[in-house]
Amino acid sequence: MLDDLISGKEKLFSEGVHTELRAQENRSRSVSLIQGNLTGNVRAEVMGVSARVYKNGVYGFSSMAEYTPSAAEAVLQAATENAAFMDRHIQKGKGALPGIPAGSMPCKKEIMDTEQKRYIEFCKEVDAYIVDKYPKLSSRSVILSADSMEKLIYTSDGYNGHIASPRSYIYVFLNTESVSGAPLELFKALGGSGNFGDRFTDPALLFPEIDKLYERLMQKREGVYPEAGYKTVVLGGILSGMLAHEAVGHTVEADLVLGGSVAGPNLGKQVASELVSLVDYAHTALGKPAPLPVYLDDEGTPAEDVVLIRDGILTGYMNSRETAEQFGVKPQGNARAWGFSDEPLIRMRNTAVLPGKDKLEDIIASVDDGYYLIDTNNGQADLTGEFMFGVCMGYEIKNGKLARPILDTTISGVAFDMLKTVDMVSDEMTWSSSGYCGKKQPMPVGMGGPALRCKVMIGGR
Amino acid sequence: MEDIKVVSNRISDTVGRLGVDKAQFSVAQSETREFNVEGGEFSLFRTLFDNELALTVYHQNKKGSAVTNKLDEASLEAAVEGALASAESAIADEAYDIAPGQGEMCFHDSGYEPDLDRFFERTRELLEDIGKRHPKIMVKQVTAAHEKSHSIYRNTNGTQCEVFRGSYTVSLMFAGHEGDKTTSFFGAGVRVDDLDTRFIELGMIEEQLKDAEAQLETIPFEGKFEGTIVLTPDSLGELLQSILENFAGDPVILEKTSLWLNKLNEKVADERLTISLRPSDERIVNKSHITGDGFQEEDYDIIRNGVLRSFMLSLYVANKTGLERAKNSSSAVVVEGGQTPYKEMIQGIKKGIIVGRFSGGQPGTNGEFSGVAKNSFLVEDGQITGAVSEVMISGNLADMLLNLRDISKETVADGASVLPYVAFDKIVISGK
Repeated sequence: MLDDLISGKEKLFSEGVHTELRAQENRSRSVSLIQGNLTGNVRAEVMGVSARVYKNGVYGFSSMAEYTPSAAEAVLQAATENAAFMDRHIQKGKGALPGIPAGSMPCKKEIMDTEQKRYIEFCKEVDAYIVDKYPKLSSRSVILSADSMEKLIYTSDGYNGHIASPRSYIYVFLNTESVSGAPLELFKALGGSGNFGDRFTDPALLFPEIDKLYERLMQKREGVYPEAGYKTVVLGGILSGMLAHEAVGHTVEADLVLGGSVAGPNLGKQVASELVSLVDYAHTALGKPAPLPVYLDDEGTPAEDVVLIRDGILTGYMNSRETAEQFGVKPQGNARAWGFSDEPLIRMRNTAVLPGKDKLEDIIASVDDGYYLIDTNNGQADLTGEFMFGVCMGYEIKNGKLARPILDTTISGVAFDMLKTVDMVSDEMTWSSSGYCGKKQPMPVGMGGPALRCKVMIGGR
Repeated sequence: MEDIKVVSNRISDTVGRLGVDKAQFSVAQSETREFNVEGGEFSLFRTLFDNELALTVYHQNKKGSAVTNKLDEASLEAAVEGALASAESAIADEAYDIAPGQGEMCFHDSGYEPDLDRFFERTRELLEDIGKRHPKIMVKQVTAAHEKSHSIYRNTNGTQCEVFRGSYTVSLMFAGHEGDKTTSFFGAGVRVDDLDTRFIELGMIEEQLKDAEAQLETIPFEGKFEGTIVLTPDSLGELLQSILENFAGDPVILEKTSLWLNKLNEKVADERLTISLRPSDERIVNKSHITGDGFQEEDYDIIRNGVLRSFMLSLYVANKTGLERAKNSSSAVVVEGGQTPYKEMIQGIKKGIIVGRFSGGQPGTNGEFSGVAKNSFLVEDGQITGAVSEVMISGNLADMLLNLRDISKETVADGASVLPYVAFDKIVISGK
C-alpha cells in the first residue's frame, strides 16, 4: 500500500483556485495461456503524482512519474502555471467552483499481491481441466488479469481520501468449428472486485462455469443465422446492462450532454416505458455491494447513487463539480481518472436497469416469434443513443419456447425509442464488471440489468 | 530525471550479474503537452512527464516480463529480479528467442521539439475555421497533443537502438447540430511532424465536417438488398484492422483458427489489392524502427496483387509454426490508390451505400460481420441521393476481399496510414 508522502503539501495550494493533488499506483498482473503456450507473463507497476488546478473556468494539470515530496511540489507548481497560461489566453472569467463539504475518507480495502507462480499454476490447472475434459475443442485460451488502482487524494475543498480498488478475472476462450467448418468462439469472464486470493481459491470452483460455456459452444455449432429485421426479443441481463451503460449511460454524462447528446432536450421527459428505471450506483446496489464499489471520486466528492431514469422519466445526469454547477445540481462523485497522469473525467460507476416483477420463463413463454439474446462480445453507442451490440450467444423463440441457437449477430436501435417498447422486466439481475469503458482513458465499470422484453433491429444474412 | 543511457547501462549490468541467459528491454522518458477543448471551448492544458521500462528476460527457455515507470537504482534491480522470478515460474519453451545482434543505431524525428505557442494558435485556428466554414457543427472535444520521447532499446545480443521521437496529434469528436437535431458523432484525427498546414486541411477532417452537416437530414433506410458498399479511408482502416487481426495475427495462427492458415502464396483478395505495412513510407509520421523481438524494421506486403505473402507473426509464433516472422511490428498500413477517380467510382454504382463508420460486433475468426453503417449515404444510379440512418450491413470479411469492385485513385494520409476509398460488391444492406 502507498505510504503517504504528500500529506502537508496542501499548504502549497494557491489561494482563490481549486486544487487537487493525487498520488497513485496502478498495478497489473497478467498470464496468457494460448493452447497451453505461455504467450504472456507480465507484472506491471506504474506510479506517480499529479495535480490539477481550476482557475476562472479553465484547468491546468501536470504529472510526474515519481512519487516523492519534491515531485508533488513540482506538479503543483506546473499545474498552477498551466492554469494561468490557459486563463491568460482564454479569459473565460468564470468564478470559483461552489464549495462542497470537507472530510476524510479512510481506505476500505487492502491491496494484496500474489506471486506470479501462483497465477501461472492456477491458469495451468484450469487449462489442464479443459484439455482433459474437452479434447475435441479446436483451441482454447486461459487469460488471467489482476489489476488495481490505489490513490491518495488531497483537495483544497472537499474530501481527502485513500482509496484502493483491486479486481481479478480469468477469461476462458473456447473454440470449435460449426457443422459447416467455420470457426466458432465463446468466452466467459470469471471473477470481479477484490484481490486474486479472495476471488480464486480453487480452480475446481470454475469448472461448472466452463462446463456451461462448453455446452453452449456445442449448441452454437448447430446455430442458424437469425432472420434480419425488426423483431421482438428478450434481452438477457448482460445485454440490458450493456444497454444501460452504452446506450443510455454515456448520453447522460453531463460533458456529453453539453456536447449535444440526445439527453439534453429530454430531461424530465418520458424516454422509456414506465417499467424502466435506471441508476448509476456508487458502492451499494439493491442492498448488496456493487460490482466495483466507488466511495470517493478524484475531485474529493463522496460518491452517491445517481437516479438517471425513474419510471420511464429522464431525471438526471452524471456530473463533475464543474458541470454540476452548470446544471445547478450537486456533484455525486462521478469524476474519476484512470492513471496518475490522467485528469478526472465524468465516468459511470455501476450502471443498471432496475429489476421488475416478471419471471424470465414467463417472458420467454410470451413470445411467439423472436429471440432470446444472452451474451455479447462488443457494444457501441453514440450521442443520439443509437446503439449496436454484438450478440455471441442466443436462441430463437418459437411459440413461447426456446428453439435453435443462433450464430453471431448484431442488434441495433435507438435507446429512447427502444426503451419505450419494453413491456416486461424480469425480477433477477445479472451484473458484469470485466473489461474497461473507453472515453479518452480506460476505466473499470460495472453494469447490470434484468431480462427485458422489447423490440430491436437484428442483423442476419 | 534519470539519464536513460545510465539507466540502460544499469539494467544491462544487473542482467549480466544475475546470469540471465537472454534479455531485452526498452527504457523511455517522455513528455506530453496537451490542450483540451470541451464543448467547443478550451478547458485544460496538461504537461506530463513519464518514464517507462519494459523488460523481458529469457532463462532456461522460460520467459518473464516486468513493466515499471520507476527508474531509480533499487526499482530497476527489483524489476529485473521480478522478471527473472516470473520466468523461473513459467513454462519452458524452446521457441522463445530474441533477434541476433543488429548493431547500434540512432534515429531522430524532425518533430521532436514542440513549438508550443504555434501549436496552440493552430488549434485555436481550427476551432475558428470550423465555426466559420461549418456553422452547424458542434465540437464535442478536441485533444491536441505534442508527445516526445527519448528511448533506448537494448538486448543481450548487442543491439542498441536509440530513438528521439516527437510529433503533434490532433483528434476531434463532433456532431452536426441544429435545433433539437443531432447527428451521430464523428471522429477525425491526424498526426504531423510540422505545423505548416492549417489542421482543417489535413487528413479527412474537412470531409468529415461536411458529412456531419449533411447527416442532419437523414431518411430511415427501408428494405433489404445485396449491393455495393464504398468504404471511406476511415471505415476501411477499421475493417482492415479486423481482417488482419482475425486472419494474420499471432493468436489465430498459433490457435490454427485463421481462415488463411493454409493460404500462404495463394489468392485471398482481388488482384488489384495490395496491403502493405510500411513504417519507412514518407507519409507515415512517428516511424517505428525496431520490432518487439529486436529486429530492425523493414517494409513488407501482407497481400500483394491479391496473393497472401505474409502473416503478422512475432518471432515466437514464427518459431512455433515454422512460418516466417513479420518484418515489422508497425501499424503503418498502406494501400495504394487504383485507377478510378472517386467520382467515377460512385457514378458506376447502381445501388449501394457509402459507409463513413462501421459500428459492429467485433468480427470473429470466421470473418462474419454485421453492424450499423453509421454516417452513411445512399447511392442510386451513380448519384449520392442523400444521407441515410439505421442501415445495417453484413457479410464475411474474407469473401469481401474477393468481391472488391474498385479502388479510388485518391488516397488519404493521416500520418498513421495511407488508404483509398474501396468499393465491395455482394454485401447485404438492410433497414427497418
